[in-house]
Amino acid sequence: MATEQPSEELKILILATLSGGYAGADSVGQLHADYATNTYILPVECPALFPKEFYLRTFKKGIDGIIIMYSGTDCPYKGGAERTAEIINETYPLMKERGMDTRRLRLVAICTVCTQPFLKEVTQMNNVLQEIGPVRQELSVSQD
Amino acid sequence: MPDKETSKLEPSQMKTDTEEPRIGVYTCYCGGNIGFVIDCERVADELGKLPNVVVTRTDMSMCSDVGQTMIEEDIREHGVNRVVIGACAPSLHEQTFRGTVSRAGLNPYFYHHVGIREQDSWVHSHDHEGATKKAIRLMSAGIAKARLLEPLEPIKLSAEKHALVIGGGVAGLRSAWDLSRRGLKVTLVEKSPFLGGHMAQLEKTFPSGEEAGGLLGPLIANVVSDPNITVHTYSEVTGVRGYVGDFHIQITQQSRGVDDTLGEAAMQACKTEVQDEFNYGLTNRKLVYKAYPGCYPSTPAVDWDHCPDGYLELEIDGRQIKLENQPKTFDINTGAVVVATGFQPYTPLKGEYGYLEHPEVLTLPQFIRLLTLIPEGKELQLNGHRVHNIGFVHCVGSRQIEGIHEAQEDGQVNNYCSRVCCTATLQAINELRQRYPDLNIVDIYEDIRTYGRGHEEYYAEASANQVLFMRFHGEEPAEVVRATDGDKSPLLIRVKDYLTWGEEIEVPVDMVVLAVGMMPTSIEDLIRLLKVSPGTDRFLLEVHPKLRPVETAVPGVVLAGTAQGPMNIKESIAAASAAASKVAVLLSRGKVELEPFVAHVDHELCTGSGECVEVCAYEDAISLKPVSMDGKEVEKALVTSANCVGCGVCVSACPNLAIDLQGWTLKQYDAMVDALVMDMSAIGVKHE
Repeated sequence: MATEQPSEELKILILATLSGGYAGADSVGQLHADYATNTYILPVECPALFPKEFYLRTFKKGIDGIIIMYSGTDCPYKGGAERTAEIINETYPLMKERGMDTRRLRLVAICTVCTQPFLKEVTQMNNVLQEIGPVRQELSVSQD
Repeated sequence: MPDKETSKLEPSQMKTDTEEPRIGVYTCYCGGNIGFVIDCERVADELGKLPNVVVTRTDMSMCSDVGQTMIEEDIREHGVNRVVIGACAPSLHEQTFRGTVSRAGLNPYFYHHVGIREQDSWVHSHDHEGATKKAIRLMSAGIAKARLLEPLEPIKLSAEKHALVIGGGVAGLRSAWDLSRRGLKVTLVEKSPFLGGHMAQLEKTFPSGEEAGGLLGPLIANVVSDPNITVHTYSEVTGVRGYVGDFHIQITQQSRGVDDTLGEAAMQACKTEVQDEFNYGLTNRKLVYKAYPGCYPSTPAVDWDHCPDGYLELEIDGRQIKLENQPKTFDINTGAVVVATGFQPYTPLKGEYGYLEHPEVLTLPQFIRLLTLIPEGKELQLNGHRVHNIGFVHCVGSRQIEGIHEAQEDGQVNNYCSRVCCTATLQAINELRQRYPDLNIVDIYEDIRTYGRGHEEYYAEASANQVLFMRFHGEEPAEVVRATDGDKSPLLIRVKDYLTWGEEIEVPVDMVVLAVGMMPTSIEDLIRLLKVSPGTDRFLLEVHPKLRPVETAVPGVVLAGTAQGPMNIKESIAAASAAASKVAVLLSRGKVELEPFVAHVDHELCTGSGECVEVCAYEDAISLKPVSMDGKEVEKALVTSANCVGCGVCVSACPNLAIDLQGWTLKQYDAMVDALVMDMSAIGVKHE
């Protein structure tokens, strides 16, 4: 991996389920609706895949905000939505311990045609990041 | 300028799976859909500086023959052994390019697709610089993943060329027949003693006006006479093991209680009557009964639900005969399951629009049966009283609002539209108008949703035939109350009518018909056995409403008809045929291939702690089994690939990071994140 450095851009990672948020993001694209370019969408079958340490690692690497766009109660995998919610709930206290604002991590249900909710979530996360700044700032303060 | 090559290729050398990654990166202009916003040449140039990238190319249309041939040549002749493509949404062309890679002799999973059209150029058309930088980041993440790709093989399983259809309504019957015509053996199980489902209770169907029986009868005849199809009525699924291609299904069948020789005499001899569900309680039937004239099977059946001791004693021709229920259980082996368990009409709660409080209030299904029970030319009567004024109320049990409508037993309201009831109501109204021209008919609706081809004509016909329409708002539903003694009509409908700007109107009526919505049949046991998921509306969920509309997340289990949501007959049949096609394609070769994106356990790291087994919701997908390691027998987690749906729940649960999802590993996600945050200028990329 190349050297990391504090980025000017506040980066938002969107982990989007193929049956929900990822298809929803494609729907937003089909509308040609505009949103910020600091958003990086990675597809995932079900976010219950990610342990809480993954989120902590990702913040530490310099991702400033993570939105998990899952399928909520429409998750086609039994227990997937509930397990994801459990993991996120367990991650919040660990973020606090490390001095991170928990608003950086958000779990939202986005369906295949949820275009407006998608745009709203991206805007909201950007507003939060504008308010609280880069994650590295919080992590460096907590390490001092 | 497209079609440019920025290559640092060495001469061709054959690749193997263990070789150092030699990544080919392909950026598509997609006509101008991508190229008019994203500087594709710059993307190609910059990505060419990343480690392991040996060729970067652009093309006006990467999915064209020219584009695909270019990729194939790079693999064959230039030693590219990993492919990353930045183009339209993966859902559109992932399979196309997997085929391209495969044709060139490379493992098809040595390819990663990055969507830079829907998720980049189309949503950042006013920021070309930002969109270009984002494409570089997203594709560099794809490259990072590509470095860690492992060769994967589809999971290949032998498959029974046999399907099980659960449900003997129109969707199940149609699925069974279609499956047979595609050369598969079929077993159809129906829980009730007779085939036909709700369609058998209808008279005319919209929009063609054809007799329901005239359509259903031949379909049943085709199914029961088909040598490929075995029908088990009075039967239900009581056990499910196995996986796609090789399900072991346990079926439990109730006795009919009588045979052809005894059936008619037993019906005559039986004196006990219960409400006839075929007529929704408007009439009674005997405990030994046939559901409807011409039903299949024609042999009567005993209603064991009303024989709590499991037997029925009758006196036939002076002899005491004891009819006993002796359920039998048997197993079948099948490759796939079609769930066609159907719907049940919403039953209004007591007092909802006067239901069960006033005998003059019926549901639409009851009313449809009532019309069939009244001979042509006879006046419309209910409980001996002639009906002069009749009111219909739409959206009963549909589009409910929390706080306004009383919740169901599970605490939820039915907030969905049942879609079918508007046209069904108008069809009943038009038929009523034809039979009783002098009747006063009032239709009270929230919205009229006659959405299908030929449906709006029902509304137009009703409007032209003196049917009076009134419109309420969902927050202010109409009320049905008892009229004052001495009034001509026994009931009043109170409605705030928004067609007259909110005027509060009282309509005297002799009968009220509630256009009730659809609810799924109660199939909790089947949901548990098959591991399929219901949605918040309790109907069964497909994987994706557009891309995989009849498949569930469980491989080999598909949905047909109203088990999936409200549908009319035409839509149910279309869904049933789609389900049959999906199963036929899956099983027709006698083997199935599944995506290899399933859990994989590293036995060096696995300590047999069992957390993975605890969190997994799928039976036999992962289990602890004794394994011999270093001469000792130890318990390790083992994945049965065919039962694993690839949700990854077990991955996050493992305390030792011993489990990963093939094709989407945590290391690959970590690498993608690394690429997204990477300082690209450090490796010479002019990015930030």
